Amino acid sequence: MAKFSKQPFEYEDNLLKSLLKYGVHVILILYILRKKRGKQGVVEPVVDIRDLTFTYSENSIPALIDINFKVLPGEFVTITGDSGCGKSTLALCLAGFIPSAFPGKMRGTVCIQGKETGEYLHGGLSGIVGLVQQDPEAQLCTLSVKDEVAFGLENLCFASEKIRENVQFALAAVGAEALLDRKVHTLSGGEKQRVAIASVLAMNPSLLILDEPTANLDPHCTEEVLRVLENLKKKRKTSIIVIEHRLDRLLPLSDRLVVMKRGRIVAETIPAVNGKPDALTTSAVRLPPVSSDEIRPGVSLLQTDRISNNPLLVVENLSAGYEGKKILEDISFSAYPGEIIALMGDNGCGKTTLLLALLGVLPLLKGKIFFGGEQISMMKVNRRARSMGLTFQNPNHQIFENTVLKEARLPSFFLKDSSCSEDEQEIMHFLEKFDLLQYKDKIPFALSLGEKKRLTLVSVLAYSPKLLILDEPLVGQDRDRLKLLLDALLDHSRKGGLTIMICHEPAIVASWCRRILFLEKGRLRINAPTEVALEKLSELGRDEYLPPYGYTGLTYGERMPG
Amino acid sequence: MNIDSYNARRKTASRTIKAFFPGLSYVDGSTVLHRAHPLVKLALLLSFSLTVFALSPFLPSVILFVLLMTGYGLAGLGLTFFSRKLRFIFIFGFIIFIVQILSVREGFLFWTVSLGKIHLDVWSEGFWGGLSMMMRFVNVIGSSYLFVATTDPNRLAYALMQVGLPYRLGFMLITALRFIPLFHMELAQVRNAQMAKGIELEGVSPRKMIKYVRYLLVPLVISALSKVDLLAISMESRAFGLYPTRSYMETQVLSPKDRFLLPAIPVLFAAFYFFFQR
Repeated sequence: MAKFSKQPFEYEDNLLKSLLKYGVHVILILYILRKKRGKQGVVEPVVDIRDLTFTYSENSIPALIDINFKVLPGEFVTITGDSGCGKSTLALCLAGFIPSAFPGKMRGTVCIQGKETGEYLHGGLSGIVGLVQQDPEAQLCTLSVKDEVAFGLENLCFASEKIRENVQFALAAVGAEALLDRKVHTLSGGEKQRVAIASVLAMNPSLLILDEPTANLDPHCTEEVLRVLENLKKKRKTSIIVIEHRLDRLLPLSDRLVVMKRGRIVAETIPAVNGKPDALTTSAVRLPPVSSDEIRPGVSLLQTDRISNNPLLVVENLSAGYEGKKILEDISFSAYPGEIIALMGDNGCGKTTLLLALLGVLPLLKGKIFFGGEQISMMKVNRRARSMGLTFQNPNHQIFENTVLKEARLPSFFLKDSSCSEDEQEIMHFLEKFDLLQYKDKIPFALSLGEKKRLTLVSVLAYSPKLLILDEPLVGQDRDRLKLLLDALLDHSRKGGLTIMICHEPAIVASWCRRILFLEKGRLRINAPTEVALEKLSELGRDEYLPPYGYTGLTYGERMPG
Repeated sequence: MNIDSYNARRKTASRTIKAFFPGLSYVDGSTVLHRAHPLVKLALLLSFSLTVFALSPFLPSVILFVLLMTGYGLAGLGLTFFSRKLRFIFIFGFIIFIVQILSVREGFLFWTVSLGKIHLDVWSEGFWGGLSMMMRFVNVIGSSYLFVATTDPNRLAYALMQVGLPYRLGFMLITALRFIPLFHMELAQVRNAQMAKGIELEGVSPRKMIKYVRYLLVPLVISALSKVDLLAISMESRAFGLYPTRSYMETQVLSPKDRFLLPAIPVLFAAFYFFFQR
């Protein structure tokens, strides 16, 4: 019994000991497992910005206010917003250039891979953050593609074998292996941008920032760059931030859309393919309306909107070029008062050459131009300019004066026979209408790209030429300003004016232009009303020139207020 | 008036200046001179130019000129190329020759040219001195042009950096070469843009030249400065200047023949100099 009575005691004692012994082990194992799981469960963001406010030293208004923003590994984030809203400043903060290279007052923290940007050595973020900028021309610094892609790795003192390996890999990632032995100056805009992306990718960064990578590109080159981004998203774990105005083709790639306004993040949304963004986002940016029916009344109205059956401009068998090269051959078309015509085609097909030839800046090699029934082929540029107002793709080339008001007046001074107080009022009215009056005494070069574009248009509208020749006038404009510009063009056409504009936004062309002139390798391939031209483009397989499915630009109601 | 005659009458300053000065650029090719190591060619150019400056007599200048012409032949740049591209050298050379004849009145009188009431005396010192100066000018500019036409500037810059030129200086050359055509294009665009505003920029006259500077320079400088900003960000974001040295994907290796030629070329030209100096 004693034995019996002892047994349960011994049993309990052993059980207790075993429990204690194994319990400690179990607890330890559970603790380790939990810790491990914890580490795996919480993914460390590549970018972690907390309460960031930044004011440039020359400004009193902050460029960024209370920014809180995270980007996870492999995430594709699109940032958009008005021009001058702080998007590029944010990119410079992420790449470590702010505040080291751009002095100013900074509050809050910017962490890249868990470490504050200020803790990295000067230039230490190279290889971790890759920055691709808007102008592909200005960011390539060597003479050959090979040297350009190897540039970063050579600066990081990699061994030549490793450099060769990474160069091959980066060019393959952007589908540009064939460009390896090409000279940089022989590349097209899209190829240059792909090389710029490859030169950053070769360094294998954790974060790739692209600041308006397609702003200067035609739809064909834009498509090339977007395909690269799509591939990078699919095949690599690199986090990508794209800053962009033109969202129609970018939204389907994005995991997240961030909208900025006046230095703040005002909206964040998860864009779904063909989904409808929330109201706040829609009001902040140029997002596609959804219904495709909204646009049809507008197009049909514009088709019957011809004011006169006598053409204002007739071009007959025009051939033009420069430096001994023939760029355009046998171009013939007529344009009527009241028309808004879109001039489209790939980079280098001769669009700008045609505009310059119309104004006489480039001499004709062959052919004739008639304006208002008069042959002007041999008329001087400054005489033609009285009835033809041309704005350029890069407004910096056109701006000269030291104040916005003087700049707006300048063409009128040269091109109007007399000036009166009414002209002055007209200019002030345009400045106000185009949201530029508050800058009238400021230096025009200090304006943003979108503002400069509007200023060059004001300077042309101020002397009321019958023909407006516009080279990508809509670049850099947010939704409200875009509408403002398009309304001004519509006003001009209602008064019997003619507009020919190069435009790379198919959705806007589809909804605002009566006719499309499509150039291909220097020849006029399509000259037809918009709907017919879009069908022809579709038949030719040039889908990049078609508005995306469901994208119809601004609505008819928005276009024709009142 | 037809289009062709109208175009012929249209002259702009840039076109006029361009027609007179040749484009100084690399001409792609695969001749012996094109393939030669850039440093060997640089040694050849420096030795040649120093010898041209050091030797004043006419005969060695002619020998050096023949040597230069051989170089042009070897580079596949025939006489047509030379006369087309380097016409201005001969014109300037001839002006130097005439100025010497008119200004130097030493030695003995060669002959007198009578042009109505004007009598022009040609003196021996002026004649030979003028010829010698003309040959020097032609040789120095001609050899520099041959060097530029046969040396890929990119290869030259990388070769110099690999033998010790600080890479920041090397990239000053490379970026300058990269941006020259770009700024040339920008200048044309600025000119077009200003013409579109009604500013007349056609024709050549001192008054118009002032106008060109006024209306073209400001936008060009602003445009250049904005590009410089972008370029600096692009280069620094790719670790430019992070370390005192850098590595290279491709090294410009000196072959045993190049290693022999590098010291041999200056020695040969020094021997040539001493031979004629005696």
